[in-house]
Amino acid sequence: MNENIDNNIIKASPTKELFIFMLTRDIPLIRAILDLVDNSVDGATSIVTDGDYSNFWIQIEASEEKFSISDNCGGISIKTARDYAFRFGRPKDMELTKGSIGKFGVGMKRSFFKLGNRFRVDSTTSSSKFIVEHDVRKWLEETENWHFQFKEKDEKKTDISENQIGTKIEVAELFENVKKNFCLENYITEIKSEIEKAHALTIEKGLSISFNGQPLGKRTLTFLNSDELKPAFYEKSFENFGNSVINAKIYAGISERDYEKGGWYIFCNGRMVLEAEQTSLTTWGISNNMPKYHPDFAYFKGFVFFDSDDAELLPWTTTKTGVDADSSFYKLIRLEMINIIRPILDFLRNLATERALVEKEAIDYSPLEKSYQATKEVSYSNINEKGNFIAPIKIKIQSRPQIGRIQYNRPLEDIKKLQKILKVYSNKAVGEKTFDYFVKMECEE
Amino acid sequence: MGSYEEINYNLRPAKCIERKMLCEAFGRLSVFGKIESYGYIGFGSNYFTDFSLFHKALNICNMTSIEKDTSNKKRFEFNKPFSCIKIEFGNSTEVLPRLNLDSKKIVWLDYDGKLTKDILLDLNYIFSKAVSGSVIIVSINVTPETLSDEISESRLEKIKVEIGSNKVPNDTSEKSFPGWGTARVCRKIILNEISQILNTRNAEYKKENKLCYRQLFNFHYSDNAKMLTTGGIIYDEGHESHLTRCSFNDLSFVRENEEEYIIKVPNLTFKEIRHLDEQLPSKNGEEISAPAVKPSDANNYKRIYRYFPSFTEANL
Repeated sequence: MNENIDNNIIKASPTKELFIFMLTRDIPLIRAILDLVDNSVDGATSIVTDGDYSNFWIQIEASEEKFSISDNCGGISIKTARDYAFRFGRPKDMELTKGSIGKFGVGMKRSFFKLGNRFRVDSTTSSSKFIVEHDVRKWLEETENWHFQFKEKDEKKTDISENQIGTKIEVAELFENVKKNFCLENYITEIKSEIEKAHALTIEKGLSISFNGQPLGKRTLTFLNSDELKPAFYEKSFENFGNSVINAKIYAGISERDYEKGGWYIFCNGRMVLEAEQTSLTTWGISNNMPKYHPDFAYFKGFVFFDSDDAELLPWTTTKTGVDADSSFYKLIRLEMINIIRPILDFLRNLATERALVEKEAIDYSPLEKSYQATKEVSYSNINEKGNFIAPIKIKIQSRPQIGRIQYNRPLEDIKKLQKILKVYSNKAVGEKTFDYFVKMECEE
Repeated sequence: MGSYEEINYNLRPAKCIERKMLCEAFGRLSVFGKIESYGYIGFGSNYFTDFSLFHKALNICNMTSIEKDTSNKKRFEFNKPFSCIKIEFGNSTEVLPRLNLDSKKIVWLDYDGKLTKDILLDLNYIFSKAVSGSVIIVSINVTPETLSDEISESRLEKIKVEIGSNKVPNDTSEKSFPGWGTARVCRKIILNEISQILNTRNAEYKKENKLCYRQLFNFHYSDNAKMLTTGGIIYDEGHESHLTRCSFNDLSFVRENEEEYIIKVPNLTFKEIRHLDEQLPSKNGEEISAPAVKPSDANNYKRIYRYFPSFTEANL
């Protein structure tokens, strides 16, 4: 409709500038990069059927000139690119990517806008190939046209070999603050550690991710285990929270003591959203009727896995950096987490008590310490038997009688006399023997 | 040292009356399922008085006693009055998660102490697991905290520190605690906790399976310390008619809201008791009397005579 014809129209459509500003304002650079990694991992997840990611890789390069991420994770189809990948927001009728982690349909574009002025996406699937390349400044100038254009596209390509399949994304003419950050070694270390954390599970399952040529490390998701001391395992499927099933698994037990690493780890569709959580958001503190996280509890480790074909049902925040504390599903699971952690904290408290007694020499050794020492490391994935945390029952230990010290002075002449009578040579022995004699003769009950 | 070493539970008259009243109410649960099929979980101590009563009167055989004193295991095992009682040693917080609550249970958490976050945690476990038809009862000491010398340490502050300020009802003030006030505050806290847990749990269920809680008991009594016993039944919405058919309301001591039932035990001689009994049950609620017995004592006796304990020296 022409503006001249309809004077009743009041303009309310957003400008592109506002849109980009709103999109990128609240997102740290690291998250923008992680969103791109998430997309690659989603690609691999949609292909993998047996949980083995060892055929897949993701390579990330970041320098002052440009940022790039390449993968061999299946590529983006032309249909997906046209209808979804470059759109702002996920259309309601869009088919779900089963078990995916990208859920809100903003990730990729937001990342481009956060990083720099030029982007290029080059993607090949087993049957198609496309290139999209844009200068964001030029796109901004065309105020009415929100579309992007394919630079190249071939919808029915036949001669594609296995090693051509994948996606390469490049962002060039990086913004000043981005450039500066990419020059800082500490910043690069931080990004690497964030990726390692977020994708700890998929990396453990074989996915290789490298950053500036260096492979990212594995995080171990293990417990200490023995016949006497076993982690808890809980598993349940929930059907009443939406059209898809949500599976919840909780593993909890003890591992090597590490104050920083102790706590809960929560994963949504394999993506770690909380690491070593130690606040009331999980099970700690008085609002949960529980003690606060404490050095005695630094042995505790709990892994919670939420999986669903419909990523929107999972209780994570839009930034995937945490859980949504208001989610009624999450609250339900937290009830279970509290039930599961209780006996573990009891065990750790008893262990601390016994250790203190050993230190005070009130007992010879700590039976709980002994059972702790007898454990072996085991991966969470090898725990298949459902059940509560198993620990030895605390036995009331017979402590040694408490001992006090007496010191006093008496005439030396008398002491010598007593030494002869008692047939001992030291003053100390005189004191002890005379004391014992008194106890024996006068204190009989 | 547990309080069992100081006093034989049998000799607490108000407790004894309460126990018999609970037992009578449990008998009505048969609408939900055979009462013999219920399990009982309690703190039997060395005397197992509640276990004996519920086994003999209701034929409940699946019985578990939680015993925190782990140093005298043999003594507790020796004192078990019936073979169907299993003793689980450890604090309730440790033992409860080991117990299976998948079938209907009567759980009586008869603590001697005051309300703590560990008690709320125990409730958390039970109410997150218990199935429809289960009855859960809590007894706690509700003697108001002694006013300490330091004015800063108020009763309100004390309870906030113990269980968390967000769990203390909004309208609670310093004036809420004296007399039986602490009992009223504690009942509210317990009820709020139960509602919150069930609300969380219900997220999983469709309408007819949503779990509800109906309070049945709100006893106040004082054998020595002031005690509160509150509890009720969990049922799913689809079973509301079962609850109606139980007719708990016909029992004079059942209380579904904040109003309390006070157990007051008059001190009477056997001769006086016999004299009063001859007039009971009284027609149309007429007053009963005995020579030189205060009318209030006679009236208290009238309310509880069916549950009144008689203690005497005996050679057993």
